[in-house]
Amino acid sequence: MRAGNLRAFAKILRANLDLTASLLILLILAILAVFGPFLWPYDPLAISLRETLQPPSLAHPMGTDHIGRDIFARFNEGALISLSVGVAVVITGAVVGGMIGLVSGISGGLLDNALMRLMDAILAFPPLILAMAVTVGLGGGLETAAFGIMLTSVPYYARLIRSDVIRIRQLPFVEAAETAGAGPARIILRHIVPHTVSTLLIQAAALFGYSVLALAALGFVGLGTQVPTPEWGVMITEGLQYALTGQWWIGVFPGFGLLAAVAATSILADKVRDLVDPRGQYAQL
Amino acid sequence: MMQAVVSRLFGSLVAVFGASIIAFLFLRVLPGNPARLVVGPLASEEALQAQMERMGLHLSLPDQYWRYITGFLQGDWGFSYGAGQPVLVQFANRLPASIELGFYAFLFAFLAAVVLGLAATYRRRPAVDAAVRALSVFGMGMPPFWLALILLVVFHEALGIFPGPGLQLSRSIEPPPVVTGFITFDALIAGDLTAFADAIHYLFLPAVALGMLPFGYLVRLLRANLLDVTNEPFILVVRSKGIGLWKTFSRHALPNAFIPTLTASGMIFAQLLGGSVLVEKVFNWPGIGSLVVDSILRKDFAVVQAFIIVSAVIYVFVNAIVDVLYGIIDPRIRN
Repeated sequence: MRAGNLRAFAKILRANLDLTASLLILLILAILAVFGPFLWPYDPLAISLRETLQPPSLAHPMGTDHIGRDIFARFNEGALISLSVGVAVVITGAVVGGMIGLVSGISGGLLDNALMRLMDAILAFPPLILAMAVTVGLGGGLETAAFGIMLTSVPYYARLIRSDVIRIRQLPFVEAAETAGAGPARIILRHIVPHTVSTLLIQAAALFGYSVLALAALGFVGLGTQVPTPEWGVMITEGLQYALTGQWWIGVFPGFGLLAAVAATSILADKVRDLVDPRGQYAQL
Repeated sequence: MMQAVVSRLFGSLVAVFGASIIAFLFLRVLPGNPARLVVGPLASEEALQAQMERMGLHLSLPDQYWRYITGFLQGDWGFSYGAGQPVLVQFANRLPASIELGFYAFLFAFLAAVVLGLAATYRRRPAVDAAVRALSVFGMGMPPFWLALILLVVFHEALGIFPGPGLQLSRSIEPPPVVTGFITFDALIAGDLTAFADAIHYLFLPAVALGMLPFGYLVRLLRANLLDVTNEPFILVVRSKGIGLWKTFSRHALPNAFIPTLTASGMIFAQLLGGSVLVEKVFNWPGIGSLVVDSILRKDFAVVQAFIIVSAVIYVFVNAIVDVLYGIIDPRIRN
């Protein structure tokens, strides 16, 4: 990045404090996820029966659970799982959905119709139920859960990219490229695809929150990651049975992690859309 | 108008059939033999074959679908081998509690969104606006099952204002005679206000937990639309005619800002049924959501299939109703 770009970036950050705050939150979560295991002395899986159900303290900032595991260490590990699975789901979903949208928008006709009806049918399913059914059908576990969530997110990309492609295809510069003798492959790759990237990125940021929450929901009902892996949804389930006996910290902290990650990315997605959209001010939230 | 409604309803029927076909194919494609799950892993090959014939699994896929869908329309929704009950009986027992919870969650989300959407835009106070926006982001970022847990910890365990999970009505109160299956409505029909108040008391926390996400979404949408509309010239004209701020909002800005919110509301209301799954689990709510999750975990796909068709029906018809409502709210799209 050149110095000029850097200064422009700093200016945007100063002018949009909520953007700065959400970037900061994501950065902190990422640091905890990546460096937490090296910097924090407790192991997320280490059982310590002399320190069960300790409330938050200096030694254990988020307390300990029913078998004395340090919740802060588990929180950090959970951040790594949630964020990395969220990123993986969003990237694969964007690639698959983007491809379907691109093919649909360029081909038109019967293929377009068939693909879009398929997307509609997937959308008519309750997404969480579909993700659960796929996860169970494919044998459970973190990978199948991620696949199930990815599948339910594909239609959102596909429909958006399709309408984007149809819009871009009719713009004068595409016609100009055709007149200049560019072949279909060149037009698609050099002229249409680059113009869908910003839409795709913004949609991906918006769906990141959905992916993270859906993964936690699958973990919560016992699909996806299995005990004792400290995934945030699984941790909330574990906390549930202690919530009504006074040990609130077990289930509450992982939820804050989810809330922070999802809220920060949704603010980020909106802000970036506002900054990219020349008309600006759209739904400034 | 009538013609539009009829063609819309016909389109809805086609969509429901599409969803039923996909649900059917999808559950057949999944690995694992449903008959094997019924007879158990130790049963002989003959017993497996006999069970497959009893379940119609030896037929071709189109024949199987035909059998299923004609049966479905005649009230034979299949048999849940996990629960040992016909699926229709399970649904009849469980669906009312879920629809009632979804209804109150939606009511909470919708009313809170209108009130706070207005508060955020009414006098353009930046502090109120920022608070509403923050609430909306939090509402959309919270896992509903986690919010359910927080609400239980704070309002049940710490403060003791609201009852805990497990019941829909206090044991000391006589349940109203069943008419609709919805406890609050039945209580009103019977004129039993004590039972009504008690049922609302039990519904409140789960409804808020379930309604928070749709609330966040609706208030965000309504706020953005209200801002757009109030910047339009006709609002200036209305104001310059000497119409008060309240009347400008209630008669002119709000109806105009309502169309996108209404679209979203229809989709949200229809989705609440599927979304209630996790909140029901936390509150031990005897609804369809907990049944479906248990059925998925048991691979009891007869229940899942019926649930998918029922939620597609609800989804499609709620949206059709919303389309008809457009015409009533907005004269421009009446034709």
